[in-house]
Amino acid sequence: MEETTVIASSSFDCGIGSWDLKTGNEQLRFKQCASPSHGLTAVGEKFLAASQLRNASGSSGSVFFWFWNKPQVEVRSFPVESITALTANSEGTYIVGGGASGDIFIWEVATGKLLKKWHAHYVSVTCLVFSGDDSLLVSGSQDGSVRVWSLIRLFDDQQRQHQERTLYEHKFDEHTMAVNDIVIDYGGCNALIVSASKDQTCKVWSLSQGKLLRSIIFPSKINALALDPGGSVFYAGGGDGNIYIGALNSKSDYATQFLGSVSDPSKAITCLAYCADGNLLISGSEGGVICVWNPRSRQPVRSFTFGHGKGPVNNIQVVRKTIVGNANKAQSSWKRNVSSLPPPLEKYERKGDDTVDGIVIVDPPLSSDVPVYSSYRSADFINEQVKELEQQGSAATEIEMERLKLEYKKSILMNDQWQKNYENLLQVVMEEELNGGSN
Amino acid sequence: MASFERFDDMCDMRLKPKILRNLLSEYIPNEKQPLVNFQSLSKVVSTISTHKLLSEPPSSSADQKKLQSKPSKSAVDDWVERLLALVSSDMPDKCWVGIVLIGVTCRECSSDRFFSLYSVWFNSLLSHIKNPESSRIVRVASCTSISDLLTRLSRFTNTKKEAVSHASKVVLPIIKLLEEESSEALWERIVHLLSTIVILFPAAFHSSYDKVEAVIASKIFSTKTSSNMLKKFAHFLALLPKANKGDAGSWSLMMQKLLISINVHLNNFFQGLEDETVGKKAIQRLAPPGKDSPLPLGGQDGALDDASWNSEQLIVSRVSALMFCSSTMLTSSYKSKLNIPVASLLSLVERVLAVNGSLPRAMSPFMTGIQQELVCAELPTLHSSALELLLATIKCIRSQLLPYAAFVVRLVSSYFSKCSLPELRIKLYSIIKTLLKSMGVGMAMQLANEVVSNASVDLEEFDAVSSKTPSLTSVAVLKSCSKKRKHSANSGAEAENPAVEVGVPHNHSLKIAALEALETLLTTAGALGLDSWRERVDNLLMTTATNACEGRWATAETYHYLPKKSSTDLVELQLAALRALLASLVSPSRVRPAFLAEGLELFQRGKCQAEMKVAEFCAHALMSLEVVIHPRALPLDGLPSLSSQFPQSDSLASQKHNTPGLNKLDRVAGKWLANVDVPCDSGIQRSLDTALPLPETKRLKLGNDLVGSENVQQADVPMKVPESTKESLGHVSDRDDMVSEEGYREVVSETREGEGLAAKDSLMEEAATGKKQESLGESDEDSVPSLKADDYLSSDSDIES
Repeated sequence: MEETTVIASSSFDCGIGSWDLKTGNEQLRFKQCASPSHGLTAVGEKFLAASQLRNASGSSGSVFFWFWNKPQVEVRSFPVESITALTANSEGTYIVGGGASGDIFIWEVATGKLLKKWHAHYVSVTCLVFSGDDSLLVSGSQDGSVRVWSLIRLFDDQQRQHQERTLYEHKFDEHTMAVNDIVIDYGGCNALIVSASKDQTCKVWSLSQGKLLRSIIFPSKINALALDPGGSVFYAGGGDGNIYIGALNSKSDYATQFLGSVSDPSKAITCLAYCADGNLLISGSEGGVICVWNPRSRQPVRSFTFGHGKGPVNNIQVVRKTIVGNANKAQSSWKRNVSSLPPPLEKYERKGDDTVDGIVIVDPPLSSDVPVYSSYRSADFINEQVKELEQQGSAATEIEMERLKLEYKKSILMNDQWQKNYENLLQVVMEEELNGGSN
Repeated sequence: MASFERFDDMCDMRLKPKILRNLLSEYIPNEKQPLVNFQSLSKVVSTISTHKLLSEPPSSSADQKKLQSKPSKSAVDDWVERLLALVSSDMPDKCWVGIVLIGVTCRECSSDRFFSLYSVWFNSLLSHIKNPESSRIVRVASCTSISDLLTRLSRFTNTKKEAVSHASKVVLPIIKLLEEESSEALWERIVHLLSTIVILFPAAFHSSYDKVEAVIASKIFSTKTSSNMLKKFAHFLALLPKANKGDAGSWSLMMQKLLISINVHLNNFFQGLEDETVGKKAIQRLAPPGKDSPLPLGGQDGALDDASWNSEQLIVSRVSALMFCSSTMLTSSYKSKLNIPVASLLSLVERVLAVNGSLPRAMSPFMTGIQQELVCAELPTLHSSALELLLATIKCIRSQLLPYAAFVVRLVSSYFSKCSLPELRIKLYSIIKTLLKSMGVGMAMQLANEVVSNASVDLEEFDAVSSKTPSLTSVAVLKSCSKKRKHSANSGAEAENPAVEVGVPHNHSLKIAALEALETLLTTAGALGLDSWRERVDNLLMTTATNACEGRWATAETYHYLPKKSSTDLVELQLAALRALLASLVSPSRVRPAFLAEGLELFQRGKCQAEMKVAEFCAHALMSLEVVIHPRALPLDGLPSLSSQFPQSDSLASQKHNTPGLNKLDRVAGKWLANVDVPCDSGIQRSLDTALPLPETKRLKLGNDLVGSENVQQADVPMKVPESTKESLGHVSDRDDMVSEEGYREVVSETREGEGLAAKDSLMEEAATGKKQESLGESDEDSVPSLKADDYLSSDSDIES
């Protein structure tokens, strides 16, 4: 069974709110969180991670983890610099963070190891998105550049030394101002990437061709994007409080439609999320209101207020979780979780011999609580045995028969031989006896 | 008396006890009567399971039913009593019959009966296993029946503890039996029983874990064990770590032991074939000096006894069994986190694949020709096991392979260039498929050239055989490929391959594997190769599919003398070729697929084939291709149109773009209208209708009555109406649309009649202003674009006029 949860965080310290999307009930509120935009992510189904704004002025950043069932911060880690964008792959095995200096970090969740760090942009990274199969990473930056990275190639040190290729697969530099959000559709290798920017445009890029397909102009700067996976349209949340609709295959240069706007028009839309289960669009605004829309009818369905309307919402994510069957099991899995807290993210890459200890920690599959069954064998066993008995004329027994026949013949011959010998011997003895007697 | 009874039909409940009694008297022996024949037993078993003869209605049912079911109960009672009597018989054959039928009864009988009798059955079965006097067939049957009994028992949740204590009673006696007896049939059943226990009741091994492990290891290292049993023992050994509380520690320990043991054996086997330091390093990595290293499996020296020093075959079959065991451990599911020693596993695979039987120059004096011959004979088996291990590793860690992915890619591609044996190439293709599936586009970028060049060699050689043209093309292809890849040494070696392989036209499995790999490549990354390999692959797949289907359909008779497998093999090949062709036609491309027409024709013909599998797939392919022939631009429900725009002069962007945008506007809108499908059209039309009143009102407000009437006539042709007006109203709900539409229609009819102009004016004003107010009410922002639109409209109509 699955449940759909909406999580949201703010740049003020309002924690992380979570709501059941179906019923609209508020769930647990996770404490102590003030994250930058794109700084909140669910790591698989395991836990929540959010980078923190508080230390932004200092030299190091901070990233906190929460478990789904506990409001307190469970793990605190302090990367070398403040993390401006954070995301995780769909399995929840890697966490990727973009730093204020333009560096991107990849951590392994199970060990906390910093696997790789590279200089991706000249200035701060604003958003990070994994491609559908988690093999590519798309990053956007404050300077308007968008880059596509192949993770496999990043880890391939040997090839990098041999070939003088750039690290990235594609670079898109057409935006003139900061990139605010990036989404990528389900097109696989032929996917379309949409980026939204402060320069009042959204640009659609082709992953396979690595070039700009079209640029769509909006009446205001675009802060957030959400993609309707089946509809070839995207929703763009504007700085003017409106949600616009754009077409991926649009032939015109202008934004097309207008979905609706939040109650207070002076408050910009700051984040958007799309939930395919029920086809809902969720928007968050500077005014702290989270609004659920039905994009077909263009009506708001439901709204949540976050942080008593004080702080702006700047992150929304829709998370699908498998619900563990009964309370008893939930408790046991909770215990297991506690006993195996993920280690904090490490600050530095390991150098020298220590870099690869060659161990990968694999989590058990989620279905491991399903009872195991074994099959019955007796009936098959009887049939096998009966078949064996029926096959008396089979090759093996025939060969055995022939062998026995041969052996029998040999034995008879041998027997005759011995018989003869005995008789001969007897004769000799008899003769000798007779001769001796006569002597 | 009973023979006069009539039954309703074959499902009558009263029939069951009759049949059961009949079976009991006819076929089942008793104390006096000897066993008639064994064959009838399978008839008895099938009758019982077809008619559910041993099932009993639950005792809590209504009284009426109780009366009916009473005779049935006693029949089952008789059945159970007879079985117990048989089990305690002195005659081994009767005893055997009793035991196997108890196994069947465990599966078939009602839960109440099972629950009341299982411990009696269990004890009598166990006594046969423990009794040294009892004959072998009786013990074999007892193991099977106990396994079934425990399986049934595991489905009762309330007796977990009791079940575990029962299961643990079995473990030691059967382990003892395993040590003492040497019959394979018995071993097989014992291993099966042990597997059942380890899966269902892992806690039963709690006290005997080490003992069990030692005995199984000794069996694996015994010279007497056949290769069939080796595999079964290895499989059980892989399950064993579940028993030790199922924790990660025991898993890791077992894996470490296995790896050390494998490497120790390899050190011996590879003597003279590789640098000795390689082996030392491998062991060192597994057992770092600072830490306590476990003993290898089977004792101090990794069970390298005298026999294994001499027989290459023995070493290889053992190492293969151990690798199989590790693979099973990697792929079977565990309940806890596992520490997978990926680096050790990968370096083991690399180590094995690096040895190809050739002698390093420095080593040659130390090895005799006959030694090398023996080693080379066994190497393919070893390589095959190593590839299996690699496959299991990839399946196990999936996306977490990332840091090692580049290493694996290099390993696979370098081995691909060296490997010419079809069996091993098939394994390589399946590894590539798994890599592509688990790591997606990023992996495809790395592997595409490797897959394409190798698959074309394997497939084009097939073409060469069928069309009798020399494989010049493949060489040419390889040359063109080597331009793209920097290390051309590999492809040079590949070009030699066809000459080696041309002798095997009848076995299609290599081609099937190559086709499947290409199909996977196209599905994951068809768009990536558009500038490089895609054209070649499309070409190749088209010819392969044509050859596989047409050439062979004509000459299919030539295969008839071969055993049945060959003809199914051909069907498999056709299916694989058609699947890959479909992928190449559907996979993204910038232009219409070059072979679309040929492909469609091929599928059309395939649909009429007698072979149902092929026909079924062709029908599916035609359905998928329909989208390619008739590209769909479906209207979006709830979003009337996407052609309207947002010209807003106060925005930074439109200041730049406004002027050209204006001229383009009508053309763009017209194109959209021309392109959209019918359902969309109606939607647009409606929105156009609703949009109309706005310019109308404006003109009417200006008092320009004449222009107003002209304009209405113009409105009958919706194409010419500027699209941009409706954006301002786009958010108005359907209900409002309807109202305004009606109002408007009235107006139009009045205008046509040319009367009541004043009334029209007022109506129009009402409709339009009402709407405007609504739009103002809904959002403040809206007023801005709508005003702009008006400005723009007037200028536009100027242009038109």
